[in-house]
Formats: sequence, C-alpha cells, structure tokens
Amino acid sequence: MGVYLPMGPQHPLHPEATLVKLRVEGEHVVDADVDASFVHRGIEKALEHKTYTQGLYLAERICGICNVAHTTCYTTNVESLAGIEAPYRALYLRLAVEELARIHSHLLWLGLFAHTMGFETLFMLAFRDREPVLDLMEEITGGRVTTGYNVIGGVRRDVDPGLVFKIKGVLTQLKERILKYKELFESDPVIQARTRGVGYLSKNEAGELLAVGPVARASAIARDVRIDDPYLTHEEVPFNVIVYDTCDAWGRAMVRLDEILESINMVQYTLDHLPSGEVRVKVPPFFRPPPGEMSSRVEAPRGSLLHYVKSDGSDRPVRYRVRTPTLANLASVVTMLRSRNGKIVHIADVPVIFSSIDPCICCTARVTIFDERGHVLEKPLNELLDMRRGR
Amino acid sequence: MVTSFEAIKNFFRKRATILYPEEKIEPSATFRGMLSFERSLCIGCGLCWRVCPASAIKQDRDDKGARPVFLLDRCIFCHICVEICPKKAIKASRDRGSLVMDKSSLRVK
Amino acid sequence: MMNFLRMLLYPGMVYILTLAMFLEWLDRKLVAKFQNRVGPMYVGPLGLLQPLADFLKLLSKESIIPAGSDRILFNICPITAFVVITLAVSFIPMVSVRGLLSTEGDLIVVLALLTIYLLLVYTSGASPPSRYSQIGAARAALMLLGFDLPLMMSSISVAVIAGSFRLSDIVAQGRYYIVGLHFIGFLIFLVAAQAELDRLPFDIPEAESEIVSGWLVEYSSWRLALLRLAKNMEFLLLTGLAVNLYLGGPVGPSPPSLEPFLQPFYFILKLVSVTFLLSLVRASFARLRIDQFVSLGWHYLLPLSLIYLVMTIVLVN
Ligand code: SF4
Ligand code: SF4
Repeated sequence: MGVYLPMGPQHPLHPEATLVKLRVEGEHVVDADVDASFVHRGIEKALEHKTYTQGLYLAERICGICNVAHTTCYTTNVESLAGIEAPYRALYLRLAVEELARIHSHLLWLGLFAHTMGFETLFMLAFRDREPVLDLMEEITGGRVTTGYNVIGGVRRDVDPGLVFKIKGVLTQLKERILKYKELFESDPVIQARTRGVGYLSKNEAGELLAVGPVARASAIARDVRIDDPYLTHEEVPFNVIVYDTCDAWGRAMVRLDEILESINMVQYTLDHLPSGEVRVKVPPFFRPPPGEMSSRVEAPRGSLLHYVKSDGSDRPVRYRVRTPTLANLASVVTMLRSRNGKIVHIADVPVIFSSIDPCICCTARVTIFDERGHVLEKPLNELLDMRRGR
Repeated sequence: MVTSFEAIKNFFRKRATILYPEEKIEPSATFRGMLSFERSLCIGCGLCWRVCPASAIKQDRDDKGARPVFLLDRCIFCHICVEICPKKAIKASRDRGSLVMDKSSLRVK
Repeated sequence: MMNFLRMLLYPGMVYILTLAMFLEWLDRKLVAKFQNRVGPMYVGPLGLLQPLADFLKLLSKESIIPAGSDRILFNICPITAFVVITLAVSFIPMVSVRGLLSTEGDLIVVLALLTIYLLLVYTSGASPPSRYSQIGAARAALMLLGFDLPLMMSSISVAVIAGSFRLSDIVAQGRYYIVGLHFIGFLIFLVAAQAELDRLPFDIPEAESEIVSGWLVEYSSWRLALLRLAKNMEFLLLTGLAVNLYLGGPVGPSPPSLEPFLQPFYFILKLVSVTFLLSLVRASFARLRIDQFVSLGWHYLLPLSLIYLVMTIVLVN
C-alpha cells in the first residue's frame, strides 16, 4: 500500500541521523514509522567506568543543547545518593542557568521549526536572537553551549552584580523579540495555514502515549516536572505552566514561545532574590556514596528527563540509566504522522510535525529497546519516583 | 506582513554577521580555554591524571619523579585539573581552541 | 560583422547572461539584507562575481547519471531548457524599445516558450528514478495549473489595452505605468511570477526540507549549472516582462540624443525595483503546501485575473 518514501538518515529535515519511514499515496502519508537508532554511543555503559565526578562531564555530553538539564539531573541524582547538600545560592543559580538554557534551546527550536516550514527569514532571526543568550551563558558559566556549570556540591562560579545587570538587560530586549514572534505566529496567514490542525494529538492520545514536555502541554495536559516534582527551588520562584488546547503544531510553537517569556521572568526573579552564601561545598574527587539506588527527574526543554543510578559503595556507579524526553515523544510523533480520523497528513506536513516535538535524537539513540505504547515504562517510573520521595 | 516590516527594518540595520577571520570574537573574561602547564611548580601528586574525565593527562616520568603530560587534543576543557592541582601548576587561559596544523604541538609537558 | 557582435555582446548573449547573473546576486544580497546577514561577500567587489563562481564550480564537479534514469532525457532537458528560456529572453526589450528579436505577436511567443520551459522542468524532474525528484516533478506540473493561466491573462490584458501583441509596440506606447486598474494586473503578475520561479512562499517543487530539492535533486555538474543558469534567465525573463508590461520598459524621460545610454539605465533601474519586491516577498513568508497553493490559484488568482481581463476588454471597447 503506497510508495515507500524515506526521509533520512541523511536529509535536510533534520541534522541528526533519523529515519522517518513514510508510505505515501500521491501527496498523502498513509503510514509512518520512525527509526532513531543510528547513533548508539554507549554512554550508559561508559558511565559505569567513570567516577562520579568524571561521569558528570560525560552526562553533560549526552545532549549538546540540553546539557544543563542533564547536569542538573545528574548532580541532583548523585547528590541525593551521596547525601551531599548543595548550598542554597547554588540551587538558585542552577535554576537561573537552567532557564537560560531553556530559552536558548527553544530559540534554536524556533529557528529549526521555521526552517522546516521553509521560513528562512525567521530561521535567521531566531538564530540571531539566540546569540546574545549564548554569550550570556559563556559569561556566566565559561562555556557557550557545553557549560560545565553544575558540579557535584554546587555550581562552579558565582555571578557578580555587574553580570546580573547585564543579564537583565539582554533578557528585557529578548522579551520584545519573543513578543514579536508570538504576534507573528498569531497573525501570519502562511504560518497559520502550515501549522494549525497539523500534527493533531488529542488529549486522550497524549495521555495514553505518555507525551511529555511541550507536546503534552499543547494537548491540554499540564504535565511539568517543575510543578509535579520540584527539584531545585521551584516552590519559591513563581511561574505558570503554559497549556494550550489546540493539540497541534501551532499549539506546540505557542507553548514554547510562552515558555521563553516565562523563563525570562523566572531568571529575572531568581537573580533579584538570590540568597547570599557559598555556591559550592567541597566534595572529595573520589567520593564513595553509600550503596543504594536513586533517580531524579528534571524538566528539560524537551520534556521530562529521568536519570537513575545504582551504587555498590565504590567510587563508580554500577548502573546508570537515562531516559530522554524525545524517546517519550517518539510514540506520539509516530501517531501524529499517520493519517487518521479523517485528518490527512501531507508529505509537506511531515517535517513540520516531526520537528514540532523538538526531536533530539543524539540523546535518544542510546536506548535500543523501547515499548512503543509506553505502558511498560509507566510502573518502574512511579516506583522510582516513590523511592526518591521516600528518602 | 509582520515579517515584511521586520525585513525592511533589517535592511537598514547593521549586519548581525561577524566576518570571522577579519573580525576577532573576544572570548569573555570567564571563558574556559586552553591549558598551560608550569612544570617547575608540579610536585607529581598525581591528582590531575587520576581525575581527568577525558584521559587527556598521561603519567610520565623524569628524574624528579612522576609528572603529567597533557594531550590537549583530547581535552574537553572541563578544568577539573585546574581546580584540583594543589600547587596551581596548571593554568587556564581564555584561548579558544586547539586549531593547529601539527598535532604534536598539543602535547604539553 | 556589426550584427554578429550585436547578437553576441551588446545587447546580445553576453549582456543577457551578465544581467541574469547580476539579478541572482542582487536577489541573494537583498534577501541576506532582509535577514540581517551579509550575503555574497568575497568573490569580486561586493561578491558580484559569486553567481559566476558558482557556475564555474558546478562545471568542475563530477558528472553523475543516476542508474535507471532516462539517459537521453536526462542529458537533453538541461540544454533544451536553457536554449528555450534564452530564446524567450531575447524577445524582451532591454536597451531600447525593440528587443534583440522582435516579431508580430512576440508576447504570445514568449508566453508559449515559458510554458514549454515549465514542461521541460517536469520532464527533467521525471527522468531520474529518485522519488524526491518524481514528487518534485509532479508538484511542478500541478503548480503549473495554478499560476500559468493567471500569468497569461494578466499579460494579455496589457496587450489588449495596447492593441498589439508585439512587445515593442506595448513599450513604445509608453503610457503603461502602474495606475488604477493596472495595479491589480501587476500584483497578479508578480504573484504568478513568484510561483513560476519556484520562490518562497511557492518553492513547493523544490521544498528543501521536504523533498530535498525536488526535481533538481539528481542533477550535478554541467547539467545543474545549466539548469541553474536557466533559472536565472527565467528570473530575468519574468522581471523583464513585468517591467515591459507594467512599468514602461526601457522608456523614461530623456532627450532623444541620450536615449541609447539612458534607456538601458532606466530598464535596469526598474528591474532592480521589481527584484526588490520579489525578494521582499521571498523573505517574508513560509512555504505553502501544494494543495493550499492550488486552491489559492483557483479560488483567488484565476477569478481575479479573469475579471481583470474582462474589465480591460470592456474598458477598451
Ligand atoms: S581540562 Fe579537563 S579534560 Fe582537560 S586536561 Fe584538565 S581535566 Fe582533562
Ligand atoms: S595535580 Fe598539579 S601538582 Fe599534582 S601532578 Fe598534576 S600538575 Fe602536578
């Protein structure tokens, strides 16, 4: 039935090695599947050979764009395993940098999303506006993208008032730009035509397929780890969970744009309310946490991210497990790509749909086996969470 | 329409592109860059090569005892070694990177 | 001898090719400016020679014929496309009211050649067996239904007013500047031209992020160079046509003695302003879907151009 049309693993749709397998009849997609296992990097295995201090830098490199989310998750995880308390100020700074990383990740996504619609100008502008954020990251953390900011026991550097002033200035300017983009998404007829009703994922489906992050939130499910399971100082920093009920690519775009605004407010609030004190406690480089298991969840820009660690009392983990948000969303994207319930998916919609989940394959392909429906993962996930709450 | 106005505005704006080889991009004051090594300060404690996550530091011997050799082409600029060295023998710089013609020049003793 | 030089250099082939490449440069530069970039910079002053450099670079590439493609069509299509479009361009008045070639009814000839060129696009996309290329070709053919008729009707309306199908007559009348009714025709023409040229928001047959580059995907080396040059010529043809039909062509205020010098200048000036508009459109939209484009063509463009044609006929009589 239909003609086989591969998109990937080498395709301008996506810079990473992904294969979207389509069955098409004319311009219509009748069936679709996604194959993401082209870059298996063996990171989980490699983590078992690194000490906890060294492993942080490997965990950071699981994903370039959400490296802050990965280090936050790793440090929270290992710190609670070893019973290390990061200073209060460090938690605030982690939060600020995490939100900054969310801003630049969403801006990157905006550019790529625009590119998949063929909107070259928006692509260029989004990348232009992302640049100052990256410069800020460099100034705060010492690295433009791979920040290396979070360390076990706190953060690397403090911010000084001059830098705080500069961050606020840049963010205020950025806010204006984001409002422009929101206006653009709300008014531009071509964008509306290309994204409204495209990639439909109803609330039920999103719940059933365990969609996470902006994909779930655009399908009217208020699922956000920052609220459900706060891991830094999220209880003290006011923010809204953005929820749209349009269930389509447009909604996902709006969720992300609104989240940028929300993140800007969060960063500004955190910087205004920074507690005083140390930013780092000294941790011996070869520390040995007690035997046991631990897991932690973080709301990465693409959705909820899970790290799990098992220790036998040595200075290296026995098992380290990472579940990335894109993996959780692959089941949803396969569903969206199939024409169903009278909603026809065109070939031209495929790039839009696929990039609307903000796929990040390099952090997903480490996983070799997954259950497409997501049912299997559900129970262990809850058990892991209980375990974390129990401590 | 929003983009059209934006495009016209951009037409009169200064370019956002940095013409790289001609215009240098200054790294910020806090940038984590290339390392340099002060051999006379080192006491050979061995912390740096044990802690390096990228195996970029190898153990070496000379008449004074064990000393590190830095293979900077492997370095990921995490700067744990800089932080951990008790004698501050390893120094960080703001230099952006290891773009060299000859790889052996990245082997620092 | 003089005549031969005239055909070859000015205002002949060399002039036309230079102008076509200049327009590509201008378009790239303008779009870059609209996107806050710099555009071509390094080859020649302000990167002016970039299109030429691209052309030469493509010529030096390995020439690949994909297995299973129709070899004859695959070789012939780029050449024919280039020849056809060059022939069409030589009818456009550029340096004086008369084009390089000129006959009675040459507007019809130009429009016919343009349609032949578009059919050649279809065949060149359909000859290699690649699926991207086939989809691109199918889309190109479908697009043709959407914009070809509006383009023709809006051009013919001008001819109706001028009472002649000869481009030099239309230009020589010299009273066809954008006023009132003509404005609609001009807009229709620009939209159709944009679609004809596969430019955003209508670059559906090429759609880089969907079908790689559609009908062009399997072409390399001199074939791609020729096809790209043909696209540049097509750009020159359509902008030139817009200038001649709606903006008065090379005609402008000048003393009769200075005409040979001022008229090419006026033409280029008008060409640049039309390119500016087209580039602005290219910079301000995302790509439409093929079904959306076809419905745009049949619901708005075609009825509008029909009304426009009927209105001009009524007004003239
Ligand atoms: S900076 Fe990091 S990777 Fe580089 S030598 Fe030091 S410890 Fe190793
Ligand atoms: S940590 Fe410092 S003192 Fe110790 S071996 Fe390395 S360079 Fe020498």
